[in-house]
Amino acid sequence: MANLNEIFILVGFIQIALVAFMQWQVYISSVIKTFSFSSLFLAIFLLVAGYVNREPYLIVLGFLTASVRAWFIPVLLSRMLRRDRWRARELEPTVGIASSIISSLLFAVLGYVIYTWTMYDYVQSTSGAVPVALFLQGAFLIMSRGNSITQLIGYLVMENALYLFGSLFPELPFVVEAGVVLDVIGTIMISGVIVRLREDKIENTEEDFTELRG
Amino acid sequence: MLLILSIAQLLYVILLAPLVAGVIAKMEEIFESKMGPSILQPYFDLVKLFRKESLVPTVASPFFRIAPYITFAFYLFLSLVLPIITAFPLTFGPIVDFIGGGLVFGAAATIKKLAALDSRNNYSHLGTSRAASVGALSEPIMLLIFIILGVISQTNNPYVINNILQTSTAWYSSLIHWFVTIAFLMVLIVETGKLPIESHSIGELGMIDQSMEMEYSGRELALYKWGTYIKHFLLMNVFMNVLAVPFFVPMTPSIQGVIIYAFVNFIKILALAFFFALLNETVSKYRLFKIFDYVAITFVFAFLAALVFFTTIPGKGF
Amino acid sequence: MNWIYYMPAGLSAIGGLLCLIPKTSFEKDISIVVSFMTLGASIIVAFMPDVYSSGLYVDGFSKIMQIMISAVYVLTVIFSISYLDHIQNKLFQTNLYFLLLNLFVVSMFFTVVVDNIGLLWVGVEATTVTSALLITTDNNELAVEATWRYIVIVSAGLTISLLATIFIYGGAHTLSLKTLLHTHQTTKIVSVGALLGIIGYGTKGGIFPMHTWLPDAHGRAPAPISAMFSAVLLAVALYAVARLIEIVPIEGVRNFAVVLGSLSVIVASMMTFSQKYYKRMFAYSSIENMGVALIGIALGGNAFIGSMVIILTHSFAKSAAFFLTGNILAGYRTSVIKEVKGISRIMPLTGYSLFFSALAVTGAPPFGTFFGEILIMTKLINVYGPGIAILIASFLVVAFIGINYRVVYMAFSQPSGESKNLDDNAAIPIVGLVIAFSIIFTTPLIYYLLRGVVAR
Repeated sequence: MANLNEIFILVGFIQIALVAFMQWQVYISSVIKTFSFSSLFLAIFLLVAGYVNREPYLIVLGFLTASVRAWFIPVLLSRMLRRDRWRARELEPTVGIASSIISSLLFAVLGYVIYTWTMYDYVQSTSGAVPVALFLQGAFLIMSRGNSITQLIGYLVMENALYLFGSLFPELPFVVEAGVVLDVIGTIMISGVIVRLREDKIENTEEDFTELRG
Repeated sequence: MLLILSIAQLLYVILLAPLVAGVIAKMEEIFESKMGPSILQPYFDLVKLFRKESLVPTVASPFFRIAPYITFAFYLFLSLVLPIITAFPLTFGPIVDFIGGGLVFGAAATIKKLAALDSRNNYSHLGTSRAASVGALSEPIMLLIFIILGVISQTNNPYVINNILQTSTAWYSSLIHWFVTIAFLMVLIVETGKLPIESHSIGELGMIDQSMEMEYSGRELALYKWGTYIKHFLLMNVFMNVLAVPFFVPMTPSIQGVIIYAFVNFIKILALAFFFALLNETVSKYRLFKIFDYVAITFVFAFLAALVFFTTIPGKGF
Repeated sequence: MNWIYYMPAGLSAIGGLLCLIPKTSFEKDISIVVSFMTLGASIIVAFMPDVYSSGLYVDGFSKIMQIMISAVYVLTVIFSISYLDHIQNKLFQTNLYFLLLNLFVVSMFFTVVVDNIGLLWVGVEATTVTSALLITTDNNELAVEATWRYIVIVSAGLTISLLATIFIYGGAHTLSLKTLLHTHQTTKIVSVGALLGIIGYGTKGGIFPMHTWLPDAHGRAPAPISAMFSAVLLAVALYAVARLIEIVPIEGVRNFAVVLGSLSVIVASMMTFSQKYYKRMFAYSSIENMGVALIGIALGGNAFIGSMVIILTHSFAKSAAFFLTGNILAGYRTSVIKEVKGISRIMPLTGYSLFFSALAVTGAPPFGTFFGEILIMTKLINVYGPGIAILIASFLVVAFIGINYRVVYMAFSQPSGESKNLDDNAAIPIVGLVIAFSIIFTTPLIYYLLRGVVAR
């Protein structure tokens, strides 16, 4: 059985590559599917880590992650998507797809650099850089896209990165992680209401958005 | 003995390259439930072209006539220095390493583009500009791949890389190796002009490579076509022998091992040809501006391999 | 007896759940009752000793926050009852509004008493979840867009502070505030955690450069919600920042916070000059006040007292200002400054109160903001020299001019056009203003309560 650290790096880098894929996709439903796939990967890693370390808490967390992040939230998001079928395609992101892919990669590198500059007190090796890189990529996903659902997925990628990071400390209290999961669910549900309102409003077109500037 | 093996390798490449192209074409037609041309069709085309008269545009310079010979010579040279049927360096092996090989590929492509510009044909200019834009992205990626491969073996020698990947399972199954393999496969699709990058139709919408040879005829066109077949064959071999399936390649000099491997190698190439035919029949062509997104993803994979290296090898951080 | 400390949170939770009962106007009565009870509980808690066990960390700072939250809660509930009738096109019914309002207050009470910084994060994130829908009570496109920006920016910021929490845990191996404050934390990773936490919780508190959601959300929310946001939500976010700065009292963290606070003041002051909408103008004034408060928190000592005075005065005065803008919006039906004229002729109580509350939030004597700013400036000169203090002071003057010019225009010009006289709703803002004025007299009490915190 390979070293747990190596599996961690494998999972982390596959996540980074998958987020770069998400930047590539044009259809939002495929972005949701890619996200579901990457969360599943994360859940499998948590299960394996729990089994190897003999920590039942991690196994429970793995199942929780799989059910919430890899199934429940993508289902919620796809249901949000199905209401406006013609909005299922993303318009061109602000800087163009190729540039956003490269920028996403550069953010990953930036995360790595920042991490290595501050990791001196840290016990484990450089493998903690991977979640930080993923975190910044999620932030960039939010910044580069205007579509609400893609922005939500960017936020969820950031939370996934934090999960990955937290799994480096197996003693993190369960209460905190459960609270995090509940908050994420709450945020997504509220966002569901808002997104529906945001894209349903076609009647009130006499108001322009100049009030929200400056 | 190494000299004999070098000449054997040269003949192997020259004679079998068109066959691979013919096999791919026939497989695609079979997938479409048609009979397709015979697999020896490229040979017949080359023989026909050698017998024809070559015409040259009046506005072209002498460079136009000699460019096909130069590129053909480059490809012949490369078939002597890459691991095709052996995993030990042959007589001319030490002339260039991996990066040098990549640069020679680039030089041949540049000469082809310059000659195409020389003919003042609109379609040639179209093809050249497209090839140049895509090449501006894919050539550095190829060099980046070779450099990262160098960290596996601490050298840039393709033979040494092959030996290490053959013998050490840790390196073969490492994330660095697989990211680089995926990146090189994507670059291979770009360089050999398979779908989804380029379809081999003559429609103006998609052609990149065909339009650069439009003004040639007769012997020069034959040399260009043959050179293209050899380039595809060499790149496929590099992919298979150095990256994806580096097994069975003989590491110690023995005539018997090399002869046996020559057959095994052809089977490996046929497997890759099958994969390409399948790919050609399943995906559709990208619109031209989406090629850059594809190349960006390739760059991500190649770069992530470097990032993995910095993460996993201790002490190599900042 | 520890359950008394949980009483404010528990009472508002019960009150919120009772709002679901579909009796007419039941939710309004229950909310008033519950809010007064929480105010009583907070005052009782203030007289009880500090407790640092069983999941609680309640010291003077927490007690002041609790009293402030419950007082503004009372004012908001009373004002909402009459104000909700003026909102056309409501997104949801009144009892859902009060349910969300009560849950919002529960999460804020929860945040200020817990010992575990992970639960602190959960509380702050819960405030986002519960308050997001309240912004779109008035259901139009702009409010929905403002809510969306609020959710995305604040959630992303809070993710950064979750990362900070994990860093602190990784460095110190504990999440308990009590342990963290008693052991001296100087490891690099904990300091990075504190820096990230300042950025993350500062997003919630409207600190530059993460303040971009604030003018939109505060400008578009209905008046009582804007009041709650400006008055207490930003303060609770700064509570979290203050705890983090307390944990890691090193110079780098302090400098970072002072820089961010100063930049908030500068940017917000400059933006007040180009404002066309009066609610956004008050929102920028909130950013400026929170920037000054952050500088004070970072400097510690007397400047911390000054920050608390500013936060308290600001909460009552700004909530009064936002209540008054609710009156103005309902009366004049426009949110543009240029179209609102002569309030003091049509609604004299509102007009004069608006004038005084604007003076209060921009730091005019004899309001507490002025004295708080003096305390902070003094410590700033002691620590960094006169240069930066002069810079901040000049920008405060800039904001003073910018806001009061517009308020004077609105209040004392000749009226034109029709408007209703809504002076009967001005009672609550006047109460708020009076409390804001009297904060300055409670300074000794504040000093006594905060003596444990002000150790530097």
